[in-house]
Amino acid sequence: MKIVTVVRRVPDVEARVEVDGGDVRVSGAAWSLDGMDEYGVEQALRMREGGLDAEVVALAVGPADTEEVLRTALAMGADRARLLVADDADVGDVLARARLLADAIREEGADLVLTGGKQADADSAALGPALAEHLGWPLADWTTHLELDGTQVRAVHDGDAGPETLAFALPAVVTTQQGLAEPRYPTLPNIMKAKRKPLDVADAPPATPVTNVVGRAPERRERARRMLDGSLEDQARELARVLREGAA
Amino acid sequence: MSDTTAEPPTPTPSTQAPSPRTAAPAATPMTRREVEDTFDLDALYTPEERMIRDAVREYVQSELAPHAGEWWREGIFPEHLPRAFGEMGMLGVAIPEAYGGAGATATAYGLVNREVEAADSGLRSFVSVQSSLVMWPILTYGSEDLKKAWLPRLATGEAIGCFGLTEPDAGSDPGAMTTRCKRVGDDWVIRGTKRWITSGTRADVAIIWARDEDSGRVLGFVVETDREGFRAEDIKTKASMRLSVTSELHLDDVAVPDANRLDVVGLKGALSCLSQARFGIAFGVLGAGFATLDEAMHYLEDRPSFGEPLTGKQLVQAKLADMWSDLTKGSLLAYRLGRLKDEGAITPTHISMAKRDNVRAALQAARHARDLLGGNGITTEYGAMRHMSNLETVSTYEGADAVHTLILGRALTGRAAF
Repeated sequence: MKIVTVVRRVPDVEARVEVDGGDVRVSGAAWSLDGMDEYGVEQALRMREGGLDAEVVALAVGPADTEEVLRTALAMGADRARLLVADDADVGDVLARARLLADAIREEGADLVLTGGKQADADSAALGPALAEHLGWPLADWTTHLELDGTQVRAVHDGDAGPETLAFALPAVVTTQQGLAEPRYPTLPNIMKAKRKPLDVADAPPATPVTNVVGRAPERRERARRMLDGSLEDQARELARVLREGAA
Repeated sequence: MSDTTAEPPTPTPSTQAPSPRTAAPAATPMTRREVEDTFDLDALYTPEERMIRDAVREYVQSELAPHAGEWWREGIFPEHLPRAFGEMGMLGVAIPEAYGGAGATATAYGLVNREVEAADSGLRSFVSVQSSLVMWPILTYGSEDLKKAWLPRLATGEAIGCFGLTEPDAGSDPGAMTTRCKRVGDDWVIRGTKRWITSGTRADVAIIWARDEDSGRVLGFVVETDREGFRAEDIKTKASMRLSVTSELHLDDVAVPDANRLDVVGLKGALSCLSQARFGIAFGVLGAGFATLDEAMHYLEDRPSFGEPLTGKQLVQAKLADMWSDLTKGSLLAYRLGRLKDEGAITPTHISMAKRDNVRAALQAARHARDLLGGNGITTEYGAMRHMSNLETVSTYEGADAVHTLILGRALTGRAAF
């Protein structure tokens, strides 16, 4: 069987993010593999290590230097990787991104797709559902536990009212939630071996976005930065009032 | 890095000095990554080197750094660490894959040292000794049998190694060693005492240097520590490197087969091993130095004094600027040192200059940080004093500062002044 883990590159936690003329610019730091996508890679590796006869393929759409996060997936243990090169601005929106990915996933003949429940940068949770929609496959989102029995899947995911257990058949899309599988550190020998694993790089076909971003602005939230005075009791009373009525 | 053009601040009349309870407007200090790589060395490392550095950083910062203060205070080197380091592939970074190493560049090995030493110099000492002083001589001077017997086990951390050159009365002058070896049939019999030996009581194997009674030449041996007559005990009175195991070795007529002898004659064999370790130290100390700068920046930004965060004070900024600048120059030096080693063009003079200068920069940074943290700077709740105290050892071991000074003097003038 074949497991495709869809990964993205996101700015490192120490990135400096600046908004310049309606454009978001990231500087001062490297990019890294999105932590929630990493859960997906880890889950795939654990299923394979648990005895599942599976090829694990890391797949991404992004600019050429997305190659580095695919190498991270390979260093963790993925068998090979594929990069469809396209600038984020040209891909446009998540639906167009999902369409590009879905075509590649079909081409791969994947049985199971794993990807992050939410993106660390744009905070969007739409990619997994959009992939499932384009592929016409069942979706388990926010998954905390995943089991395979032949082609039958049992997944526990975070529903609005609490954990739900879903059962469905492959092929399917599963998005991750913290708790699914704590990712391993890529080891140094595996980082060196990853260099020799196949990483296929090709231009992405033209994307077909359905929306057009015409401007961006940073959200600014000023903190009140107020210090409370008086006795502890007075401070506690004032704090309770502020919490109840707002800081204004 | 953001372009921060200096603008003269609006003077605040002292009568209207803000109350210490009023928080100052939020400043935007540089991030740790920006501080640590001002000249974009990242662009010069290979993708694998960057990935190795980042993986080790994540491991060290998550698994080691939060505990280093406590381990140091308690004087323990946790027993699980060698295997954990081995699983990460941090032992024998530049040793070929065929012998269980990662097969990475010397520069990558240097970067690993730097990340590990950001947690504690004692942790880096373990990595240095295992990789540079035990695995490297076995790889370079050992027979194929010795390589196969030891290197894979040393790489996984299943086996621990130590290096015995220094003696109670022979430190900077290793030629004055009194440990002797004598050929008896197919064996060599070794007798003597070695001191200041990292990992000595934990070691399964020791690289021992001894003077041949017959030829008068220094020879090196791979000595299994379970051989009869081998005994080790720990030095327990250290006020520095408390996280590291430091021992004294006693060899009381230990017999080892000739097959365990390293294929090198003279003190140059031992010195060539030291060159490997010193190379790693030139990178490693930068980790400790930058850790103290990072800690000081955070501490001072959160600590108001005379109405504003201490980071806004001129005397404080002068120290921070010196720390940053000196450690940055050290990083540039280490980068070039790494590439010279990768190209096979490195010399002992390069290594001496880099070890001496980078240890000085890191030690000075740690001393500044200790001072800037005030009373808190003398506790083990913070890293400054621990790093400072460790770096005093690093300044002394692997070629004392004075010895490297004289190596540079000799290279410059052609006159040995030891």
